[in-house]
Amino acid sequence: MIVFKTFLRVLNQCKVPIILYTVILVAFAGFNMQASDSSAGFMASKPDVLLINEDDNTGITRGLTEYIESNCTIVDIKNDEDAINDALFYRDVHYVIYIPQHYGEDFLNGLNPEIQIKSTGDFQASYAEMLLSRYIKVAAIYARYIEDEQELTAKIGHTLSKQTEVEITSTLDTNRLTKSALYYNFANYSILAGCVYVICLILSSFKSEPIRKRTAISSMEYKKYNRLLLVSNSLFAVVLWLFYVLLSFVLVGNVMFTAQGLVLILNSFVFTLCALTIAFLIGNLVKNKNAVNGIVNVVALGSSFLCGAFVPVEWLPNSVLTVAHILPSYWYIQTNERLKTMEALNFGTLRPILFNMGMLLVFALVFTVAANLVSRAKRKIG
Amino acid sequence: MGNVIEVQNLTKEYKNIKAVDALSFEVREGEILGLLGPNGSGKSTTINCILSLLNFSKGSIKLFGSEMKPDAYELKSKVGVVFQDVAVFDELTVYENIDYFCGLYIKNKGIRKQYIQDALTLVGLEEFTKFRPKQLSGGLLRRLNIACGIAHKPKLIFLDEPTVAVDPQSRNNILDGIKQLRDNGATIVYTTHYMEEVEILCDRVIILDKGAILASGTNDELKELAKIEEKITVEISNLDARYIEAIKQFETVDMVTYSDNLLLITYQKGKNNLVALMDFLKQEGIEYSKIYSERPTLNDVFLELTGKELRD
Repeated sequence: MIVFKTFLRVLNQCKVPIILYTVILVAFAGFNMQASDSSAGFMASKPDVLLINEDDNTGITRGLTEYIESNCTIVDIKNDEDAINDALFYRDVHYVIYIPQHYGEDFLNGLNPEIQIKSTGDFQASYAEMLLSRYIKVAAIYARYIEDEQELTAKIGHTLSKQTEVEITSTLDTNRLTKSALYYNFANYSILAGCVYVICLILSSFKSEPIRKRTAISSMEYKKYNRLLLVSNSLFAVVLWLFYVLLSFVLVGNVMFTAQGLVLILNSFVFTLCALTIAFLIGNLVKNKNAVNGIVNVVALGSSFLCGAFVPVEWLPNSVLTVAHILPSYWYIQTNERLKTMEALNFGTLRPILFNMGMLLVFALVFTVAANLVSRAKRKIG
Repeated sequence: MGNVIEVQNLTKEYKNIKAVDALSFEVREGEILGLLGPNGSGKSTTINCILSLLNFSKGSIKLFGSEMKPDAYELKSKVGVVFQDVAVFDELTVYENIDYFCGLYIKNKGIRKQYIQDALTLVGLEEFTKFRPKQLSGGLLRRLNIACGIAHKPKLIFLDEPTVAVDPQSRNNILDGIKQLRDNGATIVYTTHYMEEVEILCDRVIILDKGAILASGTNDELKELAKIEEKITVEISNLDARYIEAIKQFETVDMVTYSDNLLLITYQKGKNNLVALMDFLKQEGIEYSKIYSERPTLNDVFLELTGKELRD
């Protein structure tokens, strides 16, 4: 009991860094959740198109211009090549359609007249091109069978006006799920930093050479003493994990009660176990308490940046991600990323997640063996 | 009184170097045994072997009549150790530190509270219970180190240079505390570099060098081993060499040296030497500012036995 009591007394001296890591987690996660709120919404938009029509506005040509006008935002720019090029460069317009003279007439005569275009090449231009292509293809098909121009344009108009209703049947709030995954990505730093900082400091106090010697000559069984230290440190890691899990319920709410939310929690627990073993290994290696801060920065900050806890994984270069494979944080964050958009959980979708968790457990095993070897080597005096 | 420690033929080898060489000695109940020796003489290795912190190559060690082993927890409960390196938690207060180390032996909170109070009183730290180690001076920190080692009231205490780098006030406090521990019935093994502490405290002394015992006995027994019985020092300026030669001819003189206006004479026998020397100086009209006589110290014995100073 005295070992646990003293553990708590030493732990009490570490409360400021723990509060700091929690504040960092809440601040960063909160900020990013806000940012994801504004970007996750959907808003219909129309591409900016300049229509230069040199044909008369009748028949097919009128149908085409009306279709483009109804699906795009028509911008008004002087018909001058320099002005048009400037407008494209500054993205005032994304797509320019040149309808040549006699286009409608040539089309009906089967001459396949060409429409010149200019494009910025971005997604708005692609959308405008898709609309243009769609009209021409439909018109070409109907033109084979309908000769009357009025009937032809009416038929094309009718066909293109058809819309498909899409109903989203999933009840999963993917926006909130993304937020919770973001939170748990940030928790990578807080859990790792919290465990490594606190456990390293505690172990460097309890296992400093003079105190270790004094304990070894005491009447307390040394194995029992080590066991008590192990249990106390593990208990701390679990309490820290529980605290961050509770915080996630406060910050992201009900989505944590879904199957995906529970997998996020399970994943963070497995990661906490791994962080605990990392902390034990480093704690057994560190001799100087002053070095702990530096080690926390290298281990927690380094792996958080390399593995995509702070920066979205999609933004990281492949070379960085390849290196990140050797870090437990990578496997932890990969699971969070998969869960972001996972509609259904079944064996097929869970398999890669279970593999990632398995990797974390393998890391934990390796670190445990290494920590034991270091501890035994240190215990052997003479 | 029986033996608390019995060491027989203890040998500790590091590769081919013998740190302790067939050492045999015993410590009697209630005595303070001084272990003297220069750095590297094997004092700490011997203590670490006795405490089972080190494996040893040959020999046997018994504490309170039973073999000492790493898992002899019953024996360990009777032992307290104060190492030279301060072994306390920086994060805990003075009281919490003593509570922790006492708690490794004493489970009962009530008894522990009383023991902590006794330890605080013994080392004079009652007013500093809420201080953390970094707020204490070097002397107070040493006192805390001692309190942590003896709070559980052990019957056998090892004190490994507990007064190193300690101010005179703290040193006196520590020495008084050690005497009190002995008076309360503890057996103490005390290692130090300070001869005067050994002379004040120790009932018996063992002089170690190169892992072996050079001599052992009480202070007086050891001093008997010295060839000299008296040292006389005289402060004289510009003493002529012929007078030094004349003094060398005195019957019991062992050695005469003169440097830095200090005349040092050692005598093989220790009677009437001071009077004879003063008569000689008066007769020759030699003026001196100071003259004093000393008995040989353990340092002289050590110097004679090992050919080097204790702190070499």
